[in-house]
Formats: sequence, structure tokens, C-alpha cells
Amino acid sequence: MEKPLGKYTVSFGLSLALTCLFSSLLVVVKELSDKTVLPLMKQATGHHWVTHSVIDVILFVAMGFLLTKVQISPERLTRLIVASVVIGGLIIAGFYLFVG
Amino acid sequence: MVQVMLMIHAGLGLLVLLAGLWVFVEALNAHQSNLARIRGVSLFAAVVMWLTLFVAGYWYVVYYGVEKALILKGPWPFAHEFYMETKEHIILMLLLLTTFLPIAARNDLAGNRGARNLFLSVACLIVLIGIVVEGSGGIISMGSKLAVMPK
Repeated sequence: MEKPLGKYTVSFGLSLALTCLFSSLLVVVKELSDKTVLPLMKQATGHHWVTHSVIDVILFVAMGFLLTKVQISPERLTRLIVASVVIGGLIIAGFYLFVG
Repeated sequence: MVQVMLMIHAGLGLLVLLAGLWVFVEALNAHQSNLARIRGVSLFAAVVMWLTLFVAGYWYVVYYGVEKALILKGPWPFAHEFYMETKEHIILMLLLLTTFLPIAARNDLAGNRGARNLFLSVACLIVLIGIVVEGSGGIISMGSKLAVMPK
């Protein structure tokens, strides 16, 4: 029987998938809320992109340590990560191509 | 100094891409004797990616505004409107993927097929996003160049 994945591989893998999706949705939300969310993000650090990066990193690290009790097979985790990165990338590119 | 910073960020980005490709190929043939090298190069990719983000982020926040205005007035406004906007956000996914790479590399890639497939998928995504980001950088540079060229 194969060894299970390390607990931090699972937790940070899940965190990676969730943060990628969150980050792409934040792109849409901030760009469509240029009188509310975007100014707030600019105000927080001086630049919306810096705030976006800081939120992503904090979320990734926090969820990475919070999700250590979750169990998932390597196959499902792999599919989840690939799907979230592909969907997230399509959301971002699609938004700037058709809406932004 | 600005130009040097630009070249450094593109060069570091290329190093991340090559490191991703390196560990992908190594992991295809993972065995006990190359696990340490896979873990070392994975960590290297993560460290270089963070360096890239700091250099590129500083340049983007401090200097890019002038170039953006030029690009938007030039013949290739899409170099900013699509490529730069997409790149600056997709790069955050690349940052998370490269940060995760050394964590995934801590598993037994030689004996655990599931762990190896997970690692290969992450490395593959790093290479593919790296290619997209490097290509976008080229288009943005061209947009900037065309904007200042005499018509």
C-alpha cells in the first residue's frame, strides 16, 4: 500500500486550489467595483495589486495551517489543483478579454 | 537602473521556468538517488520566484505607470489591457504553485505514484504558466517599443 501524502502537502495543496480560485474571483470583484472594493484595496497598501498579493499569501498560509486535519487522496488533490488553476486562469483571461 | 531591473525580473522568471522543467523531467524518473536534487531545485524555484515577485512588483508599482500610459496611446493598447492585466494576476498563481512545489517534493516521489503525479502536475503548471508569462512580457515590451517608434 502506498504511503499517504504528508499532512502539509494535503493542507497546502487544498489551500493552493482554494486561493487560486479566490484570487481570480477577487480580480473580477475589484475590477467591477471600482468605486468600492478597488479604492479600498488601493488605500490599504498604496496599490491594489500589492493588497491583492498580500491577501493571497495570507490566505494561502492561513488555510495551509488550518486544513491539516483534512484527508484527501493524491488523485483528487491533483485534479482539484489542476482544475482550480485552469479555471482561475480562464476567469482572469476571460474577464480581461471580454469584460475588462 | 529601471532597464536592469526589467532584465533581472525576466531572467529570474526564466530561471523559475527552467527549474520547473528540470524537476518535471527529474520526477519522471524519480528514484532514491535523485530525490535530494529534486527537493533542492524545487526550493530553489520557490526562492527565485519570490525574488522575481519582489523585483517585478517594485518595478510594476513604481515605474510601470509611465510605460502603461505610453502603451495605451500606442498602436498596441491590448499589450496592457489584456496581456499585462492578465499577467499581473496569473503571476500570483505561479507564486503559490512554486511555493507549494518544495512542500510536494517532501513526499516519497520515488515510491508513491500519487505523490509523484501530484508533483508532476504542479511542475507542469509552473512550466506552462511560465511560458505564458514570459510570452506576455515580450508582447508588453513590444507594445511599449511600438508606442515610442516614429510612425
